[in-house]
Amino acid sequence: MLFQDLILKLHDYWGGYGCVITEPYDTEVGAGTFYPTTFLKALGPLPWKTAYVAPSRRPQDGRYGENPYRFQYYFQYQVILKPSPSDVQDLYLDSLRAIGIKVEDHDVRFVEDNWESPTLGAWGLGWEVWLDGMEITQFTYFQQVGGVDVNPVSVEITYGLERIALYLQNKKHTYDVEYAPGVTIGDLRRDFELEHCAYNFKHVNAEKVRRWFDDYEEEARRLLELELVHPAYEFVLKASHAFNLLDARGVLGHAERQAYVQRVRRLAEATARTYLKKHHQEVAG
Amino acid sequence: MNLLFEIGTEELPAGYVPRALADLERLAAERLAVARLGYEAIETYATPRRLALVVRGLPEASEQQEEERRGPPEKAAFKDGQPTPAATGFARKARVDVGDLEVRDGYVWARVVHEGEPTVRILPGLLAGLVRDLPAPKKMIWGAGDGPFVRPVRWLVARLNGEVLPVEVFNVAAGRASRGHRFLASGEVEVDATNYVDALNRAFVVADVNRRRERVVFEASTLALSEGLEAVLPKELVEEVTHLVEWPVAIMGSFSQRYLDLPDEVLATVMIQHQRFFPVRRPGERLTNRFVGISGHQPPDLATVRAGYEQVLEGRIYDAYFFWTEDLKTPLAEHHKKLAGINFQRGLGTMADKAARVREAAQKLAGKLALDAGLLREAAALFKADLPTQMVYEFPELEGVMARAYAEKQGLDPRVARALEDAVRPTGPEAPLPETPEGALLAALDRADTLVGFFQLGKRPSGSADPYGLRRAAAGLVRILGPTGWELPLQEVLQAAADAYRARGFAVEPGAVEAARSFAEERLESLLTEAGLPTLAVRAAQKAPSVYGKMLRARLIYELMRRPEFAELTRLYKRAANLAQQSGSDREPDPALFETDEETRLYEALAPTRRAVAQLLERGAELLPPWDPAAPLPEVDLTPLADPLAQILALAGALDPFMDHVLVMVDDPAVRENRLALLRAVRDALGELGALELLGA
Repeated sequence: MLFQDLILKLHDYWGGYGCVITEPYDTEVGAGTFYPTTFLKALGPLPWKTAYVAPSRRPQDGRYGENPYRFQYYFQYQVILKPSPSDVQDLYLDSLRAIGIKVEDHDVRFVEDNWESPTLGAWGLGWEVWLDGMEITQFTYFQQVGGVDVNPVSVEITYGLERIALYLQNKKHTYDVEYAPGVTIGDLRRDFELEHCAYNFKHVNAEKVRRWFDDYEEEARRLLELELVHPAYEFVLKASHAFNLLDARGVLGHAERQAYVQRVRRLAEATARTYLKKHHQEVAG
Repeated sequence: MNLLFEIGTEELPAGYVPRALADLERLAAERLAVARLGYEAIETYATPRRLALVVRGLPEASEQQEEERRGPPEKAAFKDGQPTPAATGFARKARVDVGDLEVRDGYVWARVVHEGEPTVRILPGLLAGLVRDLPAPKKMIWGAGDGPFVRPVRWLVARLNGEVLPVEVFNVAAGRASRGHRFLASGEVEVDATNYVDALNRAFVVADVNRRRERVVFEASTLALSEGLEAVLPKELVEEVTHLVEWPVAIMGSFSQRYLDLPDEVLATVMIQHQRFFPVRRPGERLTNRFVGISGHQPPDLATVRAGYEQVLEGRIYDAYFFWTEDLKTPLAEHHKKLAGINFQRGLGTMADKAARVREAAQKLAGKLALDAGLLREAAALFKADLPTQMVYEFPELEGVMARAYAEKQGLDPRVARALEDAVRPTGPEAPLPETPEGALLAALDRADTLVGFFQLGKRPSGSADPYGLRRAAAGLVRILGPTGWELPLQEVLQAAADAYRARGFAVEPGAVEAARSFAEERLESLLTEAGLPTLAVRAAQKAPSVYGKMLRARLIYELMRRPEFAELTRLYKRAANLAQQSGSDREPDPALFETDEETRLYEALAPTRRAVAQLLERGAELLPPWDPAAPLPEVDLTPLADPLAQILALAGALDPFMDHVLVMVDDPAVRENRLALLRAVRDALGELGALELLGA
């Protein structure tokens, strides 16, 4: 199955289930969880179902394309179901069938993996899903988001698209995965990956990025004062990415790194509080 | 009557299940007792998707209970022998006849009988309570706020002699149907207390944990054996795998031969930690390029799963092999320099600082110990050199192992390699200890450095919280030092660590060293008392400076304590030792100044007592060579100690008349001081063994 067909099949499956197929967001994020369609929508009482491709950036994880599995840029496929339905594991297994994995032929297991995002002030309990020993999905019941206990509970299903494609196409390196007919992921991303790795590891102007971080933080705070939650949250995301760049550049000592994590976390928590304050009132009204 | 109660869940954490079963059984027993329901047996079952309880031999109803209830005073209850309204009212409330009221101690009493309640009515609430109250380290809620439980509860089975009990928890109502294997069974399976294990077995679920564990072991080992090989079956992995599958099926696969260049520990770590696969070896030899994985499912074609397992493992080992070849391109001494880039702890410098401190302290202490100084110098210069390697970054538990492997591969003295591996030991509360004295010294000083440093920062563990692992470090320290048998005072080890801090410009106050020492002594106390020594014996023995000295004395004092005469001796000894404190000099007692027979007798008992103490320590050390304080006490026949023990206890015979008849604090200063000197001599004679005054009543 082509990489792009994998996405289309998942859209088809989850769209058919009733998820809103939202398109990728246009700010750098470390994971689909950072999308407002997850982070903000998981807060508060309203039900929500969505599925989307989340192009994700983890500067630290780049390997100049040398490691077949690790990249600073990759795609997650993210599903949020709120409240979590009682047959969610079966729904998930059906989604695997829909992309051509006949689960009856494999050793599929749900292995405990508790998820925590220190920068988002979020945690949840769940599993990583193993397909014949390979981790292909993260499955999490959110318990806290932005430092706020959530109820109803959202379940987050995050597929590692490249991993699954590697498996389906029986390829050894992600670059060899066929994205579209005659076009591989390597064709699309090789230069992008190399240049970004070089940037992340060697050419990030740390002084400048530190300044950006300060600016983003200040801007987020100012916008939160104005209760402009969505623009404010974008600056939280930018700050988070700036921190990731500094981290990859290797200029943060342990204590300083912790301090940055806390700063992002405080912003995320303030955003969650402001969002709830504003939108709860709307719901109540 | 027989009860089946099954809690059907989404996949439970493997590490939680054993503890959940124990809690479930305990909680059920407690609640049944409170409900006055007897039973013959409780059985528990579990798979990743269920926790279950079978209670056999329940009665039809709970036990009837009688209660004596006190009513109004007799005077108010009866007037002229007739019951007043107070009495009739009380009787009505207690549901007894007025005529049945009894009068005792000036009050009326009613004997109230609580009839037993039908079991079928008690159980629904009781079982729901079990689900709600089953403890878990981390619980969750799901859906629209159901829970909390450790994972979502999806079905319940509650049947008493086949009847479904109306149990409802977290919006799940109990029924008669369980679920079989996710892929091998279709749909629901009716179960009750009589057929639970068999019915589930037919639905491809092995519900009995012991049977499933046996099957994991049997399947893995027979599969390996079929090719003349042996599956390596670490207990923890067997346990985890048992709780990861409902229907164990072993699959053997292989990886590229060339990866056998990697040390066995690396291969085993990758297989176990990443994939939960069992490594496979030729009996008595090293690992082969095989592994056994336990699938939770028996698909039509095992080859598909095997191919998947092999591909994933190949990728994982490829990573490790990449780290291995990359790391080997750089000499260990070069890796060592990168320690400067790794923080140890804010305020305590980098790992390079730590390594330098340990090196300095080691050199300082080396002269006092029977060590190979050259070897120690070489090992100390490479201490922690594997920490900055990619392999250890990826697999922290391979620290030490990699230092050894890289050192060997790079042609260093194999003894240096071994000392480097030893220097991280022990890695856990029961993990093996260093075998080389050079490695032991480095390992001990590493921990001493941590303890002194963190106590200087005031980061003492409080309650159960120990974020910096100081308890582990302290237990490690005494576990390392004890078995060496070194006569090196614990204090001196910590002092050497403190001096090394100071030499590099870090301030360390004496209080920090003192706190670290008493903290380490507490750890020793807790290890030894866990092994069965009385707390007081250990406390008394802490007076000895070295760790082995403390251990040996604690064991010997325990031997003394077990003799009936010991109580009398310590009672007298405590008084004597207290008085001896008043002594203002350090003169020897002078027999010329004795005025009573009791003084002479006590004086004459001194020499044999000293000899007996020396003999006890000497023979004791022969019988009880240095051992690991975390291990069970050595089982040794201590009858050869009977003579010195008896001789020591005999001191009471001379001490008793002295304490009874001789006035110590007389006016004549010379006589007084001489008597005090005599008591001081007594104190010191036994003081060699420990602070026995702590044991006196």
